[in-house]
Amino acid sequence: MTTLFERAAVHLRERRVEGGFGPSPELAPEPEPTGLAAIALDDVDAVAWLSDHQRADGGFEILAGPAVTNDAATATAAVALGPGAARERALDHVVAHRARLTPTNPEAPHDPDTRGWGWTADSFGWVEPTSRAVLALQLLRPSAAAEIRDGLSVLADRECPGGGWNYGNSIVYDTLLPPYAQTTASALIGLQGALADPFARGMTTLTRLWSAERGGLSLAMTLAAFRLGGRPEVPEVERALSDELRRTDLLGDVVALAWTAIAAGPGLERLRWVAP
Amino acid sequence: MDGDRGRARARAPAVGRAVSEPIDRRTFLKRAAAVGAGATALGLGAGTLIPRLAERLRHPWDADAFPPPGSPRVAVLRATSYDGDLEGVVLDGLRAVGAEVDGASVVLKPNLVEYDPGTVVNTDPRLVAASVLAMRRLGAASVTVAEGPGHRRDTQFVVTSSGLLDALAAVEAPFVDLNTSPLARVRLDTSFTDLGELWLPRPVVEADVVVSMPKMKTHHWAGATLSLKNCFGCVPGRVYGWPKNVLHWAGLEQSIVDVAAAVRPDVQIVDGIVGMQGNGPIQGTPISAGVLVFGTDPVATDATAARLMDLDPGRIWYLSQAARFLGQGDLERIRQVGEDPERDAVDFEVLPPFERLKVGSDAGGSVDAGQA
Repeated sequence: MTTLFERAAVHLRERRVEGGFGPSPELAPEPEPTGLAAIALDDVDAVAWLSDHQRADGGFEILAGPAVTNDAATATAAVALGPGAARERALDHVVAHRARLTPTNPEAPHDPDTRGWGWTADSFGWVEPTSRAVLALQLLRPSAAAEIRDGLSVLADRECPGGGWNYGNSIVYDTLLPPYAQTTASALIGLQGALADPFARGMTTLTRLWSAERGGLSLAMTLAAFRLGGRPEVPEVERALSDELRRTDLLGDVVALAWTAIAAGPGLERLRWVAP
Repeated sequence: MDGDRGRARARAPAVGRAVSEPIDRRTFLKRAAAVGAGATALGLGAGTLIPRLAERLRHPWDADAFPPPGSPRVAVLRATSYDGDLEGVVLDGLRAVGAEVDGASVVLKPNLVEYDPGTVVNTDPRLVAASVLAMRRLGAASVTVAEGPGHRRDTQFVVTSSGLLDALAAVEAPFVDLNTSPLARVRLDTSFTDLGELWLPRPVVEADVVVSMPKMKTHHWAGATLSLKNCFGCVPGRVYGWPKNVLHWAGLEQSIVDVAAAVRPDVQIVDGIVGMQGNGPIQGTPISAGVLVFGTDPVATDATAARLMDLDPGRIWYLSQAARFLGQGDLERIRQVGEDPERDAVDFEVLPPFERLKVGSDAGGSVDAGQA
């Protein structure tokens, strides 16, 4: 009987294009799906693609125009690259390219003394890119203590009332916004026990949310978050993800497929951070 | 469909610099004031560089790219339920406004920014499915439903939980995730922001007819979200993020104009059967407006829909700007079909900063957008 990892890996390998992986079948490779696939499959060709597409400043960007640079995949690529100069340059980029300090906005308040990381360069910090950067730095460059502290502060600041995270606004116009499974999982993968109380509340929140949010990406990241967060046996989540893969092929979303292979396979250990 | 719009989209992927000098509204106002003062101080007259620059600042769009609006028809048809013969109502509406889709590849773009089972964030899937069938009845060569959710990265969750995938399966229509679609680099013919260009999904750029299908909702940064604002969902998250915050940074209201001018929806179907009031577009409460609004001019359609929400379209900043070049904002020149937008207006609650948008409010002007 094939395992979830084996099935996801077969699907994922079928998506390979020009040495890397695009966000959906038939699309040209991009850094995020390629980085995740490299981690999931321990794939040397994907790593080579990343190496070939790293910018001189160490970053990885996806298609963007003159006014927009999306470098949010750089932290993931740093994990995927493996030890060496290319990884160090990627980490240098992560450290040097945090979000902008932004005054708080009374309608959507946040801690104005924190930055975190954004989806696009020189903009606002959000939960998912900040989680990726925190994970990469905690794993690979713990000496970046100030940046890690800042990232943790952002995640603490953006926690939804009661626990868990959405994309990064917890209150808008005095309305408490709810957490989502996928972004909560993303934050938990970044934290892995750091910020003990928000982490514990996040695990509780994810336990409550996951069964109602049965998209492939949400389930895959949930499975990874639980396994990295001290709950290695979550057969009900794995079963739901397996069913979704069989039933929908995750709508061809290569990022969701790569997260499935990571969550169910040996690549997960490359994301495991143990507090010193 | 409209030949000019088709040609505009066909040439859009060209890579190049913005035609107009990139500028945002606040910079525009500041520079315009400075230019005026400088010209006076220097005694400069017509024919100099400064008046030409001032002209460009006053009109941040390429006039050649936007034909003058005519007198479009906008139809407001009564529909009090998502059950029953919605396909028939949609057919009536499309015919009433002269929507031409015969032989065309059609992309329907509903609003699925998010999914919340407790309220009415999304364009109802039954209306989307009915519109698929209506488009086919009108001779569309193909009909695809496409959206790039702005808050949720897990599109599968949104389209499954909302019921859209099941609704589309029932009418055998494909769904395309615009967040993970192939992209085209589109030069902007407007410069309300300094973006200069956008990466837009090829399924939208290459479609013969794009149909914007918004939910009739209030919006806590822009006042109202209708067919123009709905075009934000065409902007791919994998470039611009979740949320597509770079557009907010560029100026939310200005971005609405730039994005809508790039997408140029050919047909609009506004879901006002049940809309959202208050803290929209996500956290508001349902309100029955009992209508569907149809048009082929997004400015005229949104102006009509705003009136149905008891909002003054002239006070919605992005709509007032779009009315300068993108479509017909002069209410006297919009040919209304069906229900009367004033007589049948429903009092949509708005957040306090937007009270000034209400019809009959003493305060005029627009509302500045927030940033997050």
